[in-house]
Amino acid sequence: MLNLISFNQSALGALGQLALLAALAFTLGGTWLAVVGGLKADTRATEAARRAVWAVFALVTLATLTLMTALLGDDFSVRYVAEHSMRASPTWVKVTSLWGALEGSILLWAWLLAGFAFVLSLTLRRDALRPWALGAMFVNLLFFVGVCATVASPFTPVSQVLADGRGPNPALQNHWMMAVHPVLLYLGFVGLAVPFAYAVAALVTGRLSDHWVVATRRWTLTAWAFLTAAIVAGGWWSYETLGWGGYWAWDPVENASLIPWLLATAFLHSVQIQERRGLMRAWNVWLIVLAYASTVLGTFLNRSGIVQSVHAFAGGPVGPVFLGFLAFLLVAGIGLAAWRAPHLRDEGEAPAPLSREGAFLAGNWLFLVFAVMVLVGTLFPTFVEAVQGRRDASVGPAFYNAFAIPLGLGLLLLMGVGPLLPWRRAEGQGLWRALRPLLIAGVGAGVIAFALGVRSPGVLGTIALSAYNLVGLGLLTVRAMRQRGGGLMTLVREQPRRYGAYLAHVGLVVMALGIAFSGAYRQDAQTTLNVGAAPKSLLHETLALQGIRREVKPYGQSQVARVLIDGQPFEARLNTYVQGGDSAFAAPAVRYGLLGDTYLVVTAFDADAKWASVRLIESPLVSWIWWGTLVVVLGAGLTLVTPRRVAVRVPVTRAAPATD
Amino acid sequence: MTLPSPLPQARRRKRSPLPTLLGVVALVALTAFIAFGNLGKSLEYFVTPTEYVQQRTELEGRPLRIGGLVRAVQYNPQTLDLKFDVTDGGASFPVRYRGAVSDLFKENQGVVVRGEFQGNTFHASELVVKHSEEYNVPQTQAELKDLLRQSE
Repeated sequence: MLNLISFNQSALGALGQLALLAALAFTLGGTWLAVVGGLKADTRATEAARRAVWAVFALVTLATLTLMTALLGDDFSVRYVAEHSMRASPTWVKVTSLWGALEGSILLWAWLLAGFAFVLSLTLRRDALRPWALGAMFVNLLFFVGVCATVASPFTPVSQVLADGRGPNPALQNHWMMAVHPVLLYLGFVGLAVPFAYAVAALVTGRLSDHWVVATRRWTLTAWAFLTAAIVAGGWWSYETLGWGGYWAWDPVENASLIPWLLATAFLHSVQIQERRGLMRAWNVWLIVLAYASTVLGTFLNRSGIVQSVHAFAGGPVGPVFLGFLAFLLVAGIGLAAWRAPHLRDEGEAPAPLSREGAFLAGNWLFLVFAVMVLVGTLFPTFVEAVQGRRDASVGPAFYNAFAIPLGLGLLLLMGVGPLLPWRRAEGQGLWRALRPLLIAGVGAGVIAFALGVRSPGVLGTIALSAYNLVGLGLLTVRAMRQRGGGLMTLVREQPRRYGAYLAHVGLVVMALGIAFSGAYRQDAQTTLNVGAAPKSLLHETLALQGIRREVKPYGQSQVARVLIDGQPFEARLNTYVQGGDSAFAAPAVRYGLLGDTYLVVTAFDADAKWASVRLIESPLVSWIWWGTLVVVLGAGLTLVTPRRVAVRVPVTRAAPATD
Repeated sequence: MTLPSPLPQARRRKRSPLPTLLGVVALVALTAFIAFGNLGKSLEYFVTPTEYVQQRTELEGRPLRIGGLVRAVQYNPQTLDLKFDVTDGGASFPVRYRGAVSDLFKENQGVVVRGEFQGNTFHASELVVKHSEEYNVPQTQAELKDLLRQSE
């Protein structure tokens, strides 16, 4: 039921709703101005459209601040606050409630989108692309601000004001990571809207020269870094709160964030072929369009409840609305690309197989196949339901692992050889000489690992390819230092893009090792411990339950078990929340270690505090995933640094140095 | 400028067959994987006990999730051995599981177990209380039935 504005709204609710409606009006006006500016090459209309972006950003910011004020001030006359917040919550939980449910998360999305549009409006060149890029951002804003102001408004009044709100979802009060992961994820998703807007502008105007691609690379890289951090932050949240000792379950919504990541990663590599060689222009446009469409698909999956997922919010009208927008994006984006992309002319001959671009292209195909397989696995149960009429089928992790492991190893293989190969063409003899040390290192590492008792083929492959990659990157760096006669810092300062990419690759190697080891060598055991009984031995550790205590807070209570594992104290909790009924949420005690984590979950308590059932998980190298991600993000950040000018060697032909 | 200026058709030139070849190989491999691989086998169905009775021949020996209400709980916290019956009001099956359950695991609670049938007994490898779309665990039998109806 649409309830745009009503008289029984509280002051804050009315303010927020009015801000959203005004933002919607400016969005409509801005869209029109941008289109006029584009069609008639009217710079005044374009300038007005630019100002409209600022107004939209200011108004959506006002709406977001209003909702935040209502949350922090416990204004339960605002429906969103009444349904998803409560007085007794700690402040940080009230803050995270802004995106803890459907309407708020769409508002956050709209706000970030408006923020990105604002930054874009400041950085756009004064050229023919300008109005159309703004126009494309406006169309996105029209959707998100429109949804916020109408069918999913957080400011709808409640018929009867509650004394206290219903409170946030218990699962979201369990860990501070909830404050980080969704924001990072939306920054990543929304960031991909900007390259999309550039692509649309380029396609509409037919200005298909390469300068927009260079601008797009930086935006995509920024979005990609956020998305990388967000995906891993989600994994860490899962690891720290769900009590299963894992970080990735191939949940449909996890998959939905992985698909745009894979496509954006492919784009970041193939765009270099365009920069260096002027090739693959059409291909890059397609990747951008599909990457952005896949973020909307992800949101649709997340919000519609079409797939079974722990992330799915309740349905309502938002699912069909998102489906409509997704269909529009796909039809408009693909239509536009199909119409114009054949006119994107490549210069020069197609990539040779044994060249840097050949390796990038092969990597692109692996990323694409990976993305398609994840999509197939995610949607297959829905297809089965539609075709066979069988309900609620799901595809297990076995399916995903069957292709993710070989594809991941294939990508590691290409990642090592890519930077070694010259652009254009590699001679067979030279290639062999360059590859030899890498292969020796890889085989050597594999043999050593086998001798040390590693038998899992996936882990052996990862170890071998990690050594191969690290030796390759090390050799390239050492060779460059010798040729240029500078230290590592000089090299990095002169070519931040190249060494940033190397650093990101090192981070990925660290992550790959973490994933391989924690996946293959995780140990898991359960037992029941009695207070005051003799210590029990479990997974080469001795466990003794020292005691159980209860902590009561206004928003819930915790049962805390104090367990000594090999003499070291662990405090694992079971939390229950006032709005969560009987269900308990485990908060494991994790001792992080460089070589492995010890992870203790309390699964059940005796009412008289005499015994507690625990689950002990030992997984090696898990923290390498978190540290590796940090390295990846640092590397991505480094590639955005402007290189220090070197007077002697100014690249003449192309403005942007590639990461060669 | 006015829109849209007609663009010259891209030059036709000799292209290396490699990109197309790679793509075709990848897609063929993908299709083969889906067609002959184990996507169908790795599908896991969520059924109620009554549905299992009806489709027993088809479902026997497959990984399954069974959803229903908990009856006749026998649990030894020291050995972590759990036995109970899962029912949807019609059919009922015994379930065995090893692992801790809290004292909140009780009669008439809604539950979903993942595992396989061995004969008439369901051997569960995982015990999950089904999340509703709002993350909340179903509180009443009516809610659970709603939930099961949704996923039927």
